[in-house]
Amino acid sequence: MGAASKRDKKNSSTSTSPCAHLRSAYHNCFNQWYSEKFVKGQWEKEECVSEWQKYRDCLSEHLDDKHLSRFLEAEAAFGSVFQEGKENPVENSAK
Amino acid sequence: MVKAYAQEHIYKHPWERVTSASWRKFADPENKRTLSHILEVDTLNRKLDPLSGKLYTTRALTIHAPGPWFVRKIIGQDICHCVESTVVDAQSKSMQLATRNVSLQKFIEVEEKIRYDPHPDNPTGWTICRQETSIRIKPLSALASMAEKVEQRCAERFMQNSVKGREVMERICKYLEAESSGMAL
Repeated sequence: MGAASKRDKKNSSTSTSPCAHLRSAYHNCFNQWYSEKFVKGQWEKEECVSEWQKYRDCLSEHLDDKHLSRFLEAEAAFGSVFQEGKENPVENSAK
Repeated sequence: MVKAYAQEHIYKHPWERVTSASWRKFADPENKRTLSHILEVDTLNRKLDPLSGKLYTTRALTIHAPGPWFVRKIIGQDICHCVESTVVDAQSKSMQLATRNVSLQKFIEVEEKIRYDPHPDNPTGWTICRQETSIRIKPLSALASMAEKVEQRCAERFMQNSVKGREVMERICKYLEAESSGMAL
């Protein structure tokens, strides 16, 4: 993975970019774990823990203005979206 | 006013590779040019259930969605935040993603659901991808007449982007295939 690519498009969404290198460190670790262990049946151990911790700490500092910080803790986002085993019609997100 | 679309695509790659590619789809810098509407992807949450082999992940996608000028004027921004929830079941080999917008919900609700499963005709070699997209523009009395046009444009954009998304997926799959067979690229 090269250095963070320079973006020509100007945007106002760079509030989490201070975390960019922690993010790519985590994502690299995750991708490797996912394709080399998780899908091959070695799922009993969570890896990339320290990368995750650092990245998350950074995120929680910088996410405030994106209305996304609530998703940092929420586990509620799961579960409601996927009902086991059936393709139920799209439900509205009123929660 | 709701528009819903369903698409299917068969990847001639095993499920393990295709789902690996899915994780890399927005994150690889090489794809930034093709998927230039995706500005940022952050992982917000992750949970592994070590007993069942299920992985739960929540990611935030920041999307650049320039609309017609009047939409920008009304909405005041051309950036949209979406939250993507993913469940991967490594034991039964299924990956389900659901993405919906968290910003601009006053105006529009987009939900995209994707499933990756081993293809029944060739479970170890191919993967079937099923995708459902629904787009709902909220009726605002003053805007009702143009809302339909916006919805149409929005739908077209989505279709274009999902074609691009497939191209990127195919490319990453090829790359991963080469990598796993020891070829340098």
